[in-house]
Amino acid sequence: MENRMPNQGAKPVDTKQIKEMLNRRKDKMKRYLSYCAHCSLCAESCFLYMEHHKDPQYMPSYKAINSLGRLYRKRGKVDRKLLTEMKGIVWRNCVLCGRCYCPIGIHIPSMIAFARSILRSQDVYPQLDEVSSESWL
Amino acid sequence: MIDFIRGQLISIALVIFILGLIYQLIQFFRLTRKKEWVYPPLDVKAEKKTAGKWVSLCLASLNGTMWKTDPQMTVMTSIFHVLLIAVPIFLLGHNMLLDQAWGISLWSLPESITDILTLVVLICVAFFLGRRLFLARVRAITTLYDYIILLIAVAPFLTGYFAYRQWFNYDTVITLHILAGEVMLITIPFTKLGHMLFFFLYRFFIGSEYSFAKGARAWTW
Repeated sequence: MENRMPNQGAKPVDTKQIKEMLNRRKDKMKRYLSYCAHCSLCAESCFLYMEHHKDPQYMPSYKAINSLGRLYRKRGKVDRKLLTEMKGIVWRNCVLCGRCYCPIGIHIPSMIAFARSILRSQDVYPQLDEVSSESWL
Repeated sequence: MIDFIRGQLISIALVIFILGLIYQLIQFFRLTRKKEWVYPPLDVKAEKKTAGKWVSLCLASLNGTMWKTDPQMTVMTSIFHVLLIAVPIFLLGHNMLLDQAWGISLWSLPESITDILTLVVLICVAFFLGRRLFLARVRAITTLYDYIILLIAVAPFLTGYFAYRQWFNYDTVITLHILAGEVMLITIPFTKLGHMLFFFLYRFFIGSEYSFAKGARAWTW
């Protein structure tokens, strides 16, 4: 079987494009991020959190803060290493089932989905069909 | 400076608080619009439900929410948020000041009751602080900002509790109490404390699985 190289790393990160994408949804996303009370009450609504022995890394708020939150904090100035780290958070640690519960009403799936779009724009996404080591299941 | 804190700053804080909330409210309606229904409603007639069925459906709807997953925190946070609003509004001292200033006042709770309720608020904050310090999942997302927000929320109650008991220097404590209240009012519309307003906007107006109401609005991009 042909061993194809992953495309992540093929081109430099376009921070300008990331910044433009972040700005386009800033009004909604920054409000969601800034009104999160960091209460962790979303934790148990995530089946991956429960399945992974309540590992905080799987908590919905943790995933949103450490992906999209980080992108906003760094104003899009991120390198490929950081984007690859985020890939694990938004694809491996979250399946976007959309069942996260936030008592304040913050819609966490939309934040994760947006982080995925930004990563995808930089060719950072899982290549389950091409690279066998990408499989985490 | 002390005269400013005990005088003009009270009005300034109130104006910033009210205008700030109005600004955030206008922004919310500017950034959202009436939702277009993407999924057409299913053409299925609802079955007639007995009272028992309704009760079990209501209880089932709590699955996955904090009432089921963390009842301890739910009780503490519910008590805390109700008292956070009710205690200062129905406090005798505050109403006497209102009466002196504007000739209006609300119904007041007996001082012995508000004293106990203030202590309850302090206990709730101690509980939240304990969670932040000792629960791994809360610690994982806690920043210095969260402690500052907790301090802003508790400071008016802590200083009020001290002032009522005349602990330490009364003049200093009451000035700190007024300042703490002003800081809280000013920061509410522009910090995490804004969830005071956004809780209602998000849970009632924005459509989602956990909406309290119809949730007929959606964000514009």
